[in-house]
Amino acid sequence: MKTIYKTVIGVIVMTIVGITAVACSSTKKGYTDVPDTATAAAEEEFKIEKSGAQMWGEACNRCHIAPSPADYNDTDWETISLHMRIRANLTENESKKIEEFLKSAN
Amino acid sequence: MKKLLVLLIAVVFGGQMYGQTYNTFEPSKTQFMLRGYGHTGFEYMDSGDETESTFLGAAFAPIFLYKHSDRLMFEAELEFVLEGNELETGLEYADVMYVLNKNMIARAGKFLLPFGTFMERLHPAWINRLPNTPLGYGHDGIAPSSGIGVELRGAFDLGGPTLNYSVYATNGPRLKDGSEEPEEAGMLLFQNYEDNNLGKAYGGRLGLLPFSDSSIELGFSAYTTANTGQEDSEYEDVGAFLFALDFSLVKQISGLGGIVDVKAQYNNSNVDTATYFELEDGVEEEYSFDNQSNSFYGQLSYRPTMASSDFVKKLEFVGRYSDFNAPEGAEWEEKSVQYAFGLNYWLSWRSVVKLSYQTTETEGGHDGDGLTNTDGLFVHWAIGF
Ligand code: HEC
Repeated sequence: MKTIYKTVIGVIVMTIVGITAVACSSTKKGYTDVPDTATAAAEEEFKIEKSGAQMWGEACNRCHIAPSPADYNDTDWETISLHMRIRANLTENESKKIEEFLKSAN
Repeated sequence: MKKLLVLLIAVVFGGQMYGQTYNTFEPSKTQFMLRGYGHTGFEYMDSGDETESTFLGAAFAPIFLYKHSDRLMFEAELEFVLEGNELETGLEYADVMYVLNKNMIARAGKFLLPFGTFMERLHPAWINRLPNTPLGYGHDGIAPSSGIGVELRGAFDLGGPTLNYSVYATNGPRLKDGSEEPEEAGMLLFQNYEDNNLGKAYGGRLGLLPFSDSSIELGFSAYTTANTGQEDSEYEDVGAFLFALDFSLVKQISGLGGIVDVKAQYNNSNVDTATYFELEDGVEEEYSFDNQSNSFYGQLSYRPTMASSDFVKKLEFVGRYSDFNAPEGAEWEEKSVQYAFGLNYWLSWRSVVKLSYQTTETEGGHDGDGLTNTDGLFVHWAIGF
């Protein structure tokens, strides 16, 4: 039963630290509001042809933090893309698009 | 004289032309990358009557990636760890991979097994959000982590959702029949690099990402073998069936100002019942038990990536629950529950300082009966390169 207390205390401490840290940091409003209809329209567009950049943001964050395009050169990105396609079981399309984006943006 | 001049010109210009072709630097078709990671740390453990504090031996794991062509690739990872004063080396994996077509990739060699996702995808120190593995993994764990054999894997685009699969055949585990370590009779040893019987282990994983933003993945894995014991021994036909369920959610949630990451995996191991022997006051006694084990972990982490402060952006808050149940009646009978909390600071996408507090309640286990409560404080540092 002691663990329950420890858990509760742990969670409370983490929550307080977390909320304080975030609250103190975001005094200014970081992002402008986008009307819902605009987001919906943008999403619709993405569905037709999702960009490599978006796929990178989504797929490469799933296991580890996604590396930035500038972290590696084109040659390295080719090796990494093949490695990740296999290790992470990505589809060929995903890995091709992401590779193109990474090589174009570094 | 004229001839000599022409020859001279030819040599000079020819040489230049040769030099020029030589200098038009074409990227080589084959590529070699040396990557890897290292980690080190400090631990303080308190289990009531025993306290321990130690700096952990640094670990260094170089990874070799060789891309021969767009289809053929080789990967290998060596692991160097200090255990006491000894340098321990290990070959985490070494396999060739060949892209057969859009949806099929073959692998052969020693590879990390897709039994759930933790061992294959999340255990490297620079990926794992906490300094250690959840209960049920690693040494004496019930989930197989790697195997020697062949595998076929791939992914399908379902027009938004995606489906991925892998199927493999490996040497499979070896049953500890108690002849060497009686207190571990009935455990499966997955480090079985030379098969002790003709039966192989077969397994696979099916993963589904139901949403087009890849935010959620659900996985089911199975692993089965008909023979785990030594060939021609009474244990040869002891079979085993293991399965795992895994879940992953990674999503940037504007309302929360950051990225939420949820990971969970349930493992279940079922080994056929067999009769083992124990020495009780010099007399050999038979015993048997229902050889079922299971373990579970659930982890929640949050990174305030939308915070305006650069410092806060790099923070991460983690909580993890894990439990482990080893069979009742076995010499290694155990029930453990662990809560782990962590605060991480990400120096880069592959370099992190982890601070963690963990509390573990163990009933039974290797160290005997009774209840032990262990509190641990960890400071770890991991870097990928
Ligand atoms: C399913 C999990 C998963 C996903 C998704 C994933 N990675 Fe990885 N990544 C890993 C693992 C695991 C390693 C470590 C490999 C090792 O050390 O054995 C890794 C390693 C890397 C490395 C280090 C070099 C290497 O190849 O080992 C880079 C760079 C990398 N990933 C980039 C990416 C990019 C870019 C994406 C998006 C296309 C991506 N990853 C998606 C799991 C994943």
